[in-house]
Amino acid sequence: MIDFKNFKRPQRYIGNEWNAIVKRKKAKLRICICYPDIYEIGMSNLGIKIIYSLLNKYPHVACERVFMPADDMAEFISQGRKKLFSLETKTPLNEFDVLGIHLGYELNFTNFLNILELGGIPLKASDRKKTIVMGGGIVNPEPLAEFVDLFFLGEFEEAADEFIGVLKKYRTKEERLAALAQLDGFYVPKFYEVSFLNNTYHFEKKYAQAQLPIKRVYVKDLNNSHYPQKWLTPHTQIVHDRAQIEIARGCPNQCNFCQAKAVYFPYREKKLASITQLITKIYETSGYENFSLLSLSASDHSEIAEIIDSSYDFFKSKRIGLSLPSLRIDDVVGRLYSKLLLLKKTSLTVAVEAANDPLRRSLNKKIDIKKLFEAAKIIKNLGVRYMKIYFMFGFSQESEEDLSAIGQFLNALNKSSGLALKASINIFIPKPFSCWQNFPMEEEKILENKRKIILSYIPRRRNIKISLAFLKKSILEAVISRADRKFSSVIYRAYTKGAKFDGYRENFSWNIWEDSMKEEGIDYRFYLDARTDNFPWSFIETANMHMSSNS
Amino acid sequence: MQNTRFLLKLGLYKSGEMIYFSQLDLIHILARALRRTNLPLYYTQGFNPRVKISFSSGLKLGTQGRVDTTFYFTEQISHEKLKTELQPQLPEGLEIIKDDVKC
Ligand code: SF4
Repeated sequence: MIDFKNFKRPQRYIGNEWNAIVKRKKAKLRICICYPDIYEIGMSNLGIKIIYSLLNKYPHVACERVFMPADDMAEFISQGRKKLFSLETKTPLNEFDVLGIHLGYELNFTNFLNILELGGIPLKASDRKKTIVMGGGIVNPEPLAEFVDLFFLGEFEEAADEFIGVLKKYRTKEERLAALAQLDGFYVPKFYEVSFLNNTYHFEKKYAQAQLPIKRVYVKDLNNSHYPQKWLTPHTQIVHDRAQIEIARGCPNQCNFCQAKAVYFPYREKKLASITQLITKIYETSGYENFSLLSLSASDHSEIAEIIDSSYDFFKSKRIGLSLPSLRIDDVVGRLYSKLLLLKKTSLTVAVEAANDPLRRSLNKKIDIKKLFEAAKIIKNLGVRYMKIYFMFGFSQESEEDLSAIGQFLNALNKSSGLALKASINIFIPKPFSCWQNFPMEEEKILENKRKIILSYIPRRRNIKISLAFLKKSILEAVISRADRKFSSVIYRAYTKGAKFDGYRENFSWNIWEDSMKEEGIDYRFYLDARTDNFPWSFIETANMHMSSNS
Repeated sequence: MQNTRFLLKLGLYKSGEMIYFSQLDLIHILARALRRTNLPLYYTQGFNPRVKISFSSGLKLGTQGRVDTTFYFTEQISHEKLKTELQPQLPEGLEIIKDDVKC
């Protein structure tokens, strides 16, 4: 037994949360799911909660969880030759049939390798006999092809029955992979040969029954797809400490830089009746004091006013806080927001992306700036303390005026409203499947220069705070998100050189990654320049692609 | 209605895995447990109303033992009612102490 007292925040390793599901070890199929960051972050992820409750619905399946251990626990495990264990039954990871990992964030990839190692699972798929390491939540799986046996590309609710069916029918790992590879959305990298010739990626099947192209799977009927009712409620504070009600999936807007709207295509709404029923049910099972209504763009929900109206009395009488992170500015000046404010103190987040109108139009970002300025005054009077604003830079069509405009924008908004502002300024990354996936990412010299220009125009005032993207981190994120299979060896090298928690500024080491790329003979600009005729991810079809090819 | 509050004191016993949860965690655990019941809860006033709970003794992280807790309601309810409603909502390792002296 580990003496958890000796670790920082031992709560991370205990489990036993309200509505945690502990099936005894006798379940036929044992699956452990993982978000490769610390507990407080991993437990905030909605996908983990959905899949956890979904898989545990099957009587002969036991689904448990594990998160990335902090350094003190990781050290204890590796020095004591112990193994990383699941929260529910403290079972070592290598005893599970399947380890399912959420791979939605590139800078968690070295954490993923660390979890395998600590869990006693060989890092490379080809060295593994028993455990199936399965990756999900990922858009371009190629850079992890060497480490992952099986990817699922899409929304798992739709495929869970088939997946469990295959695992029940076949006993060995090889049989299981062969059967799964025939189903939509499942991708087994070793069944494909990828080559790069004449500036083009060529994809070939090595196993005749495998699918090619791989079609991303999406939930057809959001109202009847699985959603947790017994809400997993932690006993200790987590980053997004609230019950999450997904009100829609996908986004009807068409921002050119956006990956999410392409990957979660088509746009689907949950109906008012399902939403209100979920709210009461989840409150009864969790007692959560905060709720958030999630979607990529809440204002686009055709029943958003009714949703808020119909839950208003309930939230108010139970003193439940409500956050609506993606509300559009037109609704803020309307009656919606004043109602929201009566419920509990809220802040407001707005993605402006570009400060000048012409540039913003070219991004196809729709937002009414005049309304934003009106709204800021109104919400100031309603007692909101600050507004959070997102900007993006690094577009080739950007002029110096576009960059200086960010500071001027903040200045004007702050002066006219008196509201404190927190601006988050990010760098444009041409992400796979976004409309601009074939745009080059700008050179670092240019980005560095643009960064300086932006900074020089930011007013130095106490109530304007900015966080400006860390250049090298954005570059690495971009490289990994666009890389091909060859990049597995770079990730491996970086990991053996000690890269871990790369998403945390204090741990991030560009030198490790730069050396690793050099040693593997990789020029990372190759991935960022977007000069190839197709891309490492071109064997995947998103729903909008197969929908249009069907018609 | 909110202005009148009725206090009830209970001894809770923390053991097993619950010993790793701090006093701050305990506030959330108890508040959420209470919210799952149908008891007439008293909330603090102001912008961020919370279920009011207070402790008259604390425990160091990692030790088991007794935590004296005060609960607040908008109506008078009996110790018995609080116990029967609350206990099923408490996680393993958190027990209401039985046959406690009434305070
Ligand atoms: S950036 Fe936001 S609003 Fe625009 S398409 Fe993407 S999800 Fe929708």
